[in-house]
Amino acid sequence: MDPTVRPIVKMEQITKAYRSVPAVKDVDFDLHEGEIHALLGENGAGKSTLTKVMAGVVEATSGHMSYLGKPVQFATPHEALQAGIAMVFQETSLVPSMTVAQNLYLGSEKFLNRLRGIYISAQQFLQSLNFPVDPAAMVEALGAAKRQMVEIARAVHHEARVIIFDEPTATLTPEEKRHFFALLRRLKARGVSIVFISHALEEALMISDRITILRDGELVATGPTADFDREKIIAAMVGRTLSGELYSKRDVTHLRKPGRKVLSVQDISMGAMVRNTSFSVFEGQITGVFGLIGSGRTEMFKIVAGIYKRDFLRGGAIDIDDRPVRYYTPTQAVRDGIAYVTEDRKSEGIFETMSIGENLFGGFLAAGREQGLVIKSRTIRDLAEEWTGRLNIKTINADARVVELSGGNQQKVVIGKGLIQKPRMVIFDEPTRGVDVAAIAEIHQIIKDLADQGLAVVMISSYLPEIMNLSDRILVCRQGRIVEELSPVEATEEKIMYAAVH
Amino acid sequence: MNGSRAFLRNLNQERIVFIVAVLIFGAAVIGLPGFLTAANLISIVRSIAVLGILALGMSVVIIGRGIDLSMVAVMAMSVAWYLQLLGDGMPDHMALALVLGGVLVIGFINGFLVAYAEVPAIFVTLASGAFVFGYVRSQLIPSDAVAVPSGHWVELLGGVRYLGIPIEVFLFLALAGAMFVFLRFTKWGRYVYYAGDNPVAARNMGIPVRPMLVLRYVLAAVTAFLAGLLTAASLHSINTRVVNSTLLYDIVLVAVIGGIGLSGGKGGVRNVLVGAALIGIMLNAMTIIDISLLYQNLIKSTILLFAIIVDGLLNPRDEQTAQQGDI
Repeated sequence: MDPTVRPIVKMEQITKAYRSVPAVKDVDFDLHEGEIHALLGENGAGKSTLTKVMAGVVEATSGHMSYLGKPVQFATPHEALQAGIAMVFQETSLVPSMTVAQNLYLGSEKFLNRLRGIYISAQQFLQSLNFPVDPAAMVEALGAAKRQMVEIARAVHHEARVIIFDEPTATLTPEEKRHFFALLRRLKARGVSIVFISHALEEALMISDRITILRDGELVATGPTADFDREKIIAAMVGRTLSGELYSKRDVTHLRKPGRKVLSVQDISMGAMVRNTSFSVFEGQITGVFGLIGSGRTEMFKIVAGIYKRDFLRGGAIDIDDRPVRYYTPTQAVRDGIAYVTEDRKSEGIFETMSIGENLFGGFLAAGREQGLVIKSRTIRDLAEEWTGRLNIKTINADARVVELSGGNQQKVVIGKGLIQKPRMVIFDEPTRGVDVAAIAEIHQIIKDLADQGLAVVMISSYLPEIMNLSDRILVCRQGRIVEELSPVEATEEKIMYAAVH
Repeated sequence: MNGSRAFLRNLNQERIVFIVAVLIFGAAVIGLPGFLTAANLISIVRSIAVLGILALGMSVVIIGRGIDLSMVAVMAMSVAWYLQLLGDGMPDHMALALVLGGVLVIGFINGFLVAYAEVPAIFVTLASGAFVFGYVRSQLIPSDAVAVPSGHWVELLGGVRYLGIPIEVFLFLALAGAMFVFLRFTKWGRYVYYAGDNPVAARNMGIPVRPMLVLRYVLAAVTAFLAGLLTAASLHSINTRVVNSTLLYDIVLVAVIGGIGLSGGKGGVRNVLVGAALIGIMLNAMTIIDISLLYQNLIKSTILLFAIIVDGLLNPRDEQTAQQGDI
């Protein structure tokens, strides 16, 4: 290593496990003083987790970290910030109802704060950074780019020597991006070290000094940016070693043939998230939808399931069985046989206080399948028995509350809640997120069985092996639209990723 | 010991409150002369009846993750207006239809604003309660108290007894039974729990969450009207000053102390019965001991505060979703 550059942060053998599932494994990472270091990888590769360890947001399960040559262990983000490591989050952490100046000094106020005083010093400070932001403006009135400037200013104000940016450019317009990059260079000139997490490879190649690539929680490549190009990065991001049994090479000669066209979507739009996109879904096959975070993949299908409403004007058209539909509530979609299995089972999937049976029964009831006037607890018990068997939900007894189950079994309950409605089309959104390996195989089998039974199955995933392995056709989503349709015969992980990044 | 551990594990709020109620009852029987007399016991159940009916209506709303602060205003003002219309000589069926219509409209507006305009329930119902009180008091009735016309069925209702027990006790029990059946055995009743536990999941699953919300506020308004009729029946008049009393807090107290979590999705009719029993016994005992109203309020408010804190600990609204962390 060049002896003139010293690492400001040095992480050794960092492992962080969530519920014994490692998100990063034995990663070595060092950040040099005054460099811009791009951290790349697929969704779930462990980029966010690694940087969260660095910024004290989460604690590493094992490993060492040293900062300015001294070993450190940050218990809270506040400690890290005090030491000079700041993280600028994807979702900004500003207080929307306060002014820019108040946000800047948040947490470092003197006991008595004269508003005028902080406006003047904030004004001077923002000018010194060359940020055109009015310190008296409410944060909620600012656009994404200016909010980000405030976040950055706050980090600089705390005299941060290390600033971590998690997907900073995702919400910016091209013009704003140029300003942002100029700013990064200015920060660098001030001696600040920067970690830059991004999906946009071109940006990383353009701005960074060094690049580190993570895959499945492990470090796969690190080195000066000059040594990398787009192809090399993509190959490193997707070149997989762990696939093994679960993701063995698929036999592409036995693809399921498309049946009747169930869903046809033309030019639907919803705000900035879904932009003029069209696609179709057929019976009897699995349509895999790949997209990175923020690509609008979930939003598109939530529109189909009636959870979100597409734009009223120029919102496009959706046909179910050649019948135009416009859903105002999911109830209508459920009646038309569409079941959506959420990616976020905790906040929009399960009923925490209820038993497995009651959870399943909810789906049954909502689909209008309960015929009798009086609900018998017997029905609930029978349903619980039938579906715990069918989906192989492992539980001590059927009265167990859903919160007491493992992630995989909770996911099976959520799936069961959808399947009990006898849908014709099932939309799985990240069906194996936070699920243990054994359950992943079972859930994949459930998905395949549904397609074999002739249902239209959509599987949204940001995990390439899952997409490659299960799909009979692959749609790739980028920036709010389906940009590519591939057949598994021609698709490679590189090709899919190439279409998904910009 | 195995047995005692199982007992502790099953010791939920409802059971604790039940045990406390029994203990207070026992203490009152031993310590207070005149407590264990037929007349006093009847006065206890009678005092619980109206409170209990109101708490039933409130509970349906709370289980569905809402709250209705307009109940007492609706109860007093609807009945006051009804009696005023009768006094003005309007035919009974017309007056009843008019007032019932008004009650339904208030319930509907409450529900509509909460469900579709997405205004927090606490503000909607606080405002609508104040509006109902102000409008009826200023525009429709000339004085604070309105008497029941003599010979009217409401007056007669107050005198009906069966086995020496006033009719409102039976009405309370009948209503409790009806509510039990509604919550447990009907589809709409079940929806209350799903929407209360996780409204987003309920909506995604296809439950008509918003119309059901409206239904619950309408239901609460109608129960309030019934409770008002019973109050008028036993007192032969309705005093609208009750709107400014602590009755509203007693209702919430009964529901919360019985174990109906303010975070929604938990509890049922049994919890209301247990809560009403405890509060009824306690209020009665305090009256016999001759604790002044000021101190009674102090004691009640302390208990309510305590119950809400315990509720917050037992039923946290967010199960630390933020702690999960993404990968």
